[in-house]
Amino acid sequence: MNFVWFWSFWHWSKESFRDGSLLRNPLHGVGGHWDEWFRHEASENDRAAIAKTGRDEASQRRFISWLLVHWARETDLRENRLARRFVLAQIALAQPFKEWAAFEQYRTNRGLGGISAVVLGEGSPGKPEDVRQVEALALPMDTTAPAVVSEGFQADSFELETPRAAAARLLSGSGLLIFFVLWLAGGKRPYPRWLQLVLGLGWLAVGGLILYLLMGPDPADRLPLLTGALAALWIGLVMTAIATATTLGMSAWRQGRRLSARLEQSQVRLRMSGGLTLKGGSAALPFCLNMLVSIYRAEGRLARRSWLWRRLFEGIGARAGTWAATGAITPGGFLKPVVLESKLRACLKHDGIQRILTPRQPGVTSRSLARLAGTLAPSSSEAAAAPSNSSGVRFGFAAEEDCLSVHPCRHIAQAQMRLGGFNSPAQMAMNVFALAVSVTLLVALPDLRGILLPPAAPAASAPSSPSPEYLWVNLETKHPENFLVAMESHYWLNRRVEVVPRSAAGGSGRAEIRLQRSEAPENNDQEDGVVWIERRHWFLGREFAPGERVGRYSLSYLSRLGHE
Amino acid sequence: MMNTDLEVEQLLRWRLARAEAGAPRAPSGSRLLELARPWWESWPGRFAELAGQVGRVQADYGYAMAAPDRAGGGHPVPALVVTESEELTTCARILYFNIRDGRLRLRFRLDETPARARESFGATFVTGEGGRPLLSAQAALSLENEYRTDTEIPEELAREWEPLRVTDRMPFRLILRDEEL
Repeated sequence: MNFVWFWSFWHWSKESFRDGSLLRNPLHGVGGHWDEWFRHEASENDRAAIAKTGRDEASQRRFISWLLVHWARETDLRENRLARRFVLAQIALAQPFKEWAAFEQYRTNRGLGGISAVVLGEGSPGKPEDVRQVEALALPMDTTAPAVVSEGFQADSFELETPRAAAARLLSGSGLLIFFVLWLAGGKRPYPRWLQLVLGLGWLAVGGLILYLLMGPDPADRLPLLTGALAALWIGLVMTAIATATTLGMSAWRQGRRLSARLEQSQVRLRMSGGLTLKGGSAALPFCLNMLVSIYRAEGRLARRSWLWRRLFEGIGARAGTWAATGAITPGGFLKPVVLESKLRACLKHDGIQRILTPRQPGVTSRSLARLAGTLAPSSSEAAAAPSNSSGVRFGFAAEEDCLSVHPCRHIAQAQMRLGGFNSPAQMAMNVFALAVSVTLLVALPDLRGILLPPAAPAASAPSSPSPEYLWVNLETKHPENFLVAMESHYWLNRRVEVVPRSAAGGSGRAEIRLQRSEAPENNDQEDGVVWIERRHWFLGREFAPGERVGRYSLSYLSRLGHE
Repeated sequence: MMNTDLEVEQLLRWRLARAEAGAPRAPSGSRLLELARPWWESWPGRFAELAGQVGRVQADYGYAMAAPDRAGGGHPVPALVVTESEELTTCARILYFNIRDGRLRLRFRLDETPARARESFGATFVTGEGGRPLLSAQAALSLENEYRTDTEIPEELAREWEPLRVTDRMPFRLILRDEEL
C-alpha cells in the first residue's frame, strides 16, 4: 500500500474527532490536524517515509496524484473535485509540504479563479491592489463552523450571510424568476444558427402576411389559404418559443432547486487576500456571484443538464479573471448604491480587469466616467517622461474589449445576464417584433376564426317587416357580423346589406333592406327576387370581398314569413 | 604566517579562553530564581488587573436564534490579548484538546486577532472565577491563525481536565501576552 503514513494520519484524525479531541471534522480541519499529527503523533517510520516521499519533485507529484485519485476514492471525496483541492491547499501550508516544490501551486491559490471584489485599503484613492480576487469553495457542511467562512479577511457574519441568502434565492426563488424573465425578454436562445435564422424569417413572414392582408390587394379566393398559412406559421413559432422557454425554464428550476439544496448543505469558504477587516457591504455582490459558482463547481455533473445554468457558470468561469464587481445587496438580490469613484479608479488602473458590475445609481454615467478617466490620463509631460510606463486609460462604457466596461445593474439577475453573455440585442428586437405581431394576431383572432372556422349558415326566421317599404331578413346566428344579405331582383333595385345584431334578442341579427323600385324594371312582379346570405370576411377592420353564398330565399317567402 | 606546530586541541583551548573572557558574567543565584518565577508572581498587580479584565468577559451565547442551530461548535473561551500597542478582548475557539502523559496539547483560534499577527504568545491559563493562575505555556502560530500549545501540566490539573472533550465548556480563560513584553 502506498503512502501508509497518510492513512495513519487520516485514521488518527477521524478517531480524534470521534472521541472528542478535535472540534472540526477531518475534512474541514485537515490542515491543522496534519500539523498536530506530524508534530506529535507521527512515528519515526512515518517520518522516514514522508521524508522519502519529499526527496524529489517527481515523488512529491506521485503523492499528489495518489491523493487526488486513490485516496479521494476511498474517502468519498471522488465526486467533489474541489474538496480534494481544498485538502491539498490546506496541507500545503503545513510542514513538511510547505517545503515541497510540487505543492507550490496549491499554496498560492486554489486555482478557482473567481470574480474580483474591489475593496479599498485604508485611505486608498483607488489602487490596482484594491482589486482583490475572490475565491469561493463549497465543502460539505461543517456543524462546528458558520455556513460561510472567510479566509484571508474578516467580516461580520451578517456581511457573509446576506450574499448566501441572495444566492439561495437566485437558485430557486424570486431571483431565479427575475433571471428567467430577463432571459425571456432578451436572452440568447440555445438554437443553432440556422434555426435562429429560420425562426427570424418566420416572424418576418408573419409580419409580412399581416401587412399584406391589411394593405395588399384583395386575395379573394386565396383568403382562407393566406390566413391559414398565417395562423399555422404563427402557432408554430409561438409553440416553438413556448416549448423552448418551458423546457429550459423547468430544467433551470429543477437544477436550481438541487443547487439550492446543495448550498443549504454546504459550507462556503470565501478567500480574499489582504487580511482586511471588511467595513461595509460592497463586496456582497462578488461574494454572492462566487458562491453561486462554487456551488455549481461542487455539483457540476447535475447542474450541467440545465442549459441556462451551464451557460451562465461556464461564462463566468471563462471570463472571471477579467471581471470585477462591487455592490451591496439585499437578501432578495437587489443592489444598493455604494461609493464608486475610487473603485472605478482602481479598476481603470488594474491591468487585468476589463469589466465591472456596479449598482445602477446616480453618477454612473458615461460623462462622469469619462471625467474620471480623464483625471487618470497622464499629462503630456508625464507621458513624454515615461512613455513605456503609461499604460493609458482603458475606459469605455460597455464598450470594446480592451477598455473598462461598466455594467450597472439593479438586480443580481442582470449581473448574471451579463456574466453569462446572455444579452442579445438581436433576440430582444426579435422578441419585441414577435410580441407586436402576436398582439396584433390576438386582436385579429375573431376575424381569423370567421375566415378559417366560419360559423354555421344561419336560417331566416320571423318576423317579416310590417312595412311594405322594407324587407326584413332575420338570421339566427351569434355572429351576424360574419354575414351579408344580398337581394337580386328584376323589379327592385339590387342591394347588399349588412346584418346588424339585434340587442333585444341575443343570438340573432337582422338585415333591413329598403325596397326601392328599379328605374327600368324588367317585369311588374313585386315578388320577383332572391335574397342570398353571403359570408362576410374581416381582418382588423379591413373588409374583403363577399365570400361564399350560404343561403337562398325567395322574396315572397321572406315577406310572408310569420304572417301565415 | 600561521604557526603550524600548534595542535588543534591547543588551538581550541585558546579560542575557548578568549570566548570566556568576552562573555558576560553568569547571573547570580537570586537572579536565576527571579527569572524562573512565573510572570504573575513577578508582577502581581499587573496580573490581577488582566485577570480581572478577562474574568469580566461574557462569552456565553444568548440563544435568540433565527436559524437552525449549528451545534457542536464548542464553547468559546474568553481571552485577553495583550500586546505593546493594544489590549484586545476576544474569544478563543478550542480546536484540539488532549491530555496525555502529563502533557496538554491544545490548539485554538482567536475570533479576533490583533492588528499585527504574532508568531507566538505567552499563554496564561486562569480560572474563570477569582482569576487564579493555573499554568502558562507558549502558544505558537500554526496555520491560518491557529495557535498551538504543547506543555507539561500539573498532575492535579491533568486528572481534572483529562475527561474534558473539545466541545465541553473549558474551566479556564486565557491571557495571551506578547512575549516581547
